[in-house]
Amino acid sequence: MSTVLEVNDLLTRFHTLDGVVHAVNGVSFDLKQGETLGIVGESGSGKSVTMMSLLGLIPMPPGRIEGGEALFTTDDETHDLLQMSPADLRDVRGGKIGFVFQDPISTLNPILTVGEQIAEVLTRHLDLSKQEAQARAIKLLASVGIPDPELRYDAYPFQFSGGMRQRVVIAIAIACTPDIVIADEPTTALDVTVQAQIADLFRQLRRELGVAIIWITHDLGVVAGLADRVLVMYGGRVAEIAMVDDLYENPQHPYTIGLLGALPSLESRESKRLISIRGAPPDLLIPLEHCPFAWRCDYAFDRCWEEIPHLLSVGKRHRTACFYDLEKGGPRDV
Amino acid sequence: MSENGAMLQVVNLKKHFPISSGFLGRQVKLVKAVDGVSFTIDKGETLGLVGESGCGKSTAGRAILQLQEPTSGQVYLMDKELTQASPDEVRELRPRMQMIFQDPYSSLNPRHSVGKIVGEPLVINGIMDRGSKELASRVAELLELVGLDPVYVRRYPHEFSGGQRQRIGIARALSVNPDFIVCDEPISALDVSIQAQVVNLMQDLQEQLGLTYLFIAHDLSMVKHISHRIAVMYLGKIMELTDRNTLFEAPLHPYTQSLNSAVPVPNPKLERRRRRFILKGEPPSPANPPSGCVFHPRCPLAEEQCIKEVPSFREIHPGHFVACHLADTEGGSQIPAGTVLASEVD
Repeated sequence: MSTVLEVNDLLTRFHTLDGVVHAVNGVSFDLKQGETLGIVGESGSGKSVTMMSLLGLIPMPPGRIEGGEALFTTDDETHDLLQMSPADLRDVRGGKIGFVFQDPISTLNPILTVGEQIAEVLTRHLDLSKQEAQARAIKLLASVGIPDPELRYDAYPFQFSGGMRQRVVIAIAIACTPDIVIADEPTTALDVTVQAQIADLFRQLRRELGVAIIWITHDLGVVAGLADRVLVMYGGRVAEIAMVDDLYENPQHPYTIGLLGALPSLESRESKRLISIRGAPPDLLIPLEHCPFAWRCDYAFDRCWEEIPHLLSVGKRHRTACFYDLEKGGPRDV
Repeated sequence: MSENGAMLQVVNLKKHFPISSGFLGRQVKLVKAVDGVSFTIDKGETLGLVGESGCGKSTAGRAILQLQEPTSGQVYLMDKELTQASPDEVRELRPRMQMIFQDPYSSLNPRHSVGKIVGEPLVINGIMDRGSKELASRVAELLELVGLDPVYVRRYPHEFSGGQRQRIGIARALSVNPDFIVCDEPISALDVSIQAQVVNLMQDLQEQLGLTYLFIAHDLSMVKHISHRIAVMYLGKIMELTDRNTLFEAPLHPYTQSLNSAVPVPNPKLERRRRRFILKGEPPSPANPPSGCVFHPRCPLAEEQCIKEVPSFREIHPGHFVACHLADTEGGSQIPAGTVLASEVD
């Protein structure tokens, strides 16, 4: 399968009055056609800033993209998203790359009907007439599971429940048959039964449209059932990336192990003590010259305090940024 | 209930809020946030109270502590009936029942130092004097108990991370040596790795101090982890109440069954082969609840009776309570495999 997106050494910083926030410090990953990539991290790990950087949605100033490239391939042409003019990027956003954010009420315009908002995207990107756009918008509403789409076309966002609003946002994201949909915590603000509905809608979209999905979340549970591959972020860097089964069954970064241990198991009858990670995530105002996880890591040794670990291959499509070999029980020979 | 005797008993608790509108502020509707909730919690036990947003779980917690006056029903803290007590009497009982709040940012006064925040309940309740040596040493002891360095007493809330603030909130609740604590979503504002720290702390403290918890949350897997028994709420009512393992292994209420199946599991292989029934629609507004069983519009098993009659909340097996008409019928209340399959919703 061909690669639709290849991000190399992305570097995003915020120059604030308190100092420089090192939000994204050299993130690299790729996304294949039709693949679902889960990006997991806690608050401040840089997962959202990474995606906002790709879409040109970082407020500048204070934000600044200080390095890297993001090669986006569509219709056999490859462009660097980070070098595109704002006008070209506007064509990509909502066109070839759709996005869904956490809070559907602040994503939608409260004074336009949901139908108008979908039709607007269609006329803007696809050069459709008003009637064609309306007909297609109604089809889109139906395809994301909104009952009575003809009637609901004229409804305003406040007339929808949280889950239905998120469906509208998804309809907008897929309106122009994008190559990639970026979903940033799309289920976090929703109740668990509605969360399951939305996750299921994404599964259906992937099956029917073959769209590549980047699913950003802090919840390792949701990703397990959705993603093909999972990338774990920590302190603005990639800690580990692997195929989904591999990551959960054979995690190779102490942070991933800690995150998985911190989740209670629904299957076990006995309530085992949770494995907690001591301390708190790093302060991004301080530029690091060593592993960002070293303070909280049970395996940290001299080298972890001396240099920044880069991604090392530890298996088939499995890479981790850790100097410690957990299987061997000692430092890696690299 | 048990040989220890119940720490807390709640009988048919209701909390209704009037909605008024129009020129004269006429009362037009009643939001039945909590509509007849009954349970007991034993000493040293944790009862989990789960439900989706708007189901009334937080209101129930507040009404139990008399932070909001219940509309009707009884709440007993050991032998004292809180619902009959005068405001002065409730104030006297306050040290025995405390609360830990969801948001560690808005629940701490930003202008007060940690020492003042943690020591205040002792001063307010007349247990210790402000500025006394005794108070200072108690505050230091409490900070140590929740895993914070006592040198932090002079610091202010903004100097702490979310997890540390939640520890401060826990220390404040523990300051007056309570028997019973209502924990209202104490970990949902925290990051995953920090959640585990706080949950472990709460369990350690329960063991050390013999605390009784009402643990309110929407995260089923964490509730299962910390609770001994779990009550599932939906639109102001308890749908099912039983011990933690039965609730997950043999749930009787269709709502519990679908909640269980909706919880994502951090295990890709299991997650892929899981049998799921995804509920249609979303919880209705408590201002306009459905007739009969409040769950019937979303229930795949709903029958004529469910639309007309409110099911009673009854003990089907020893210790297993459920409010479903079908639970003790011949057909049972199990959602058959494949009823509402994933991707077939809507």
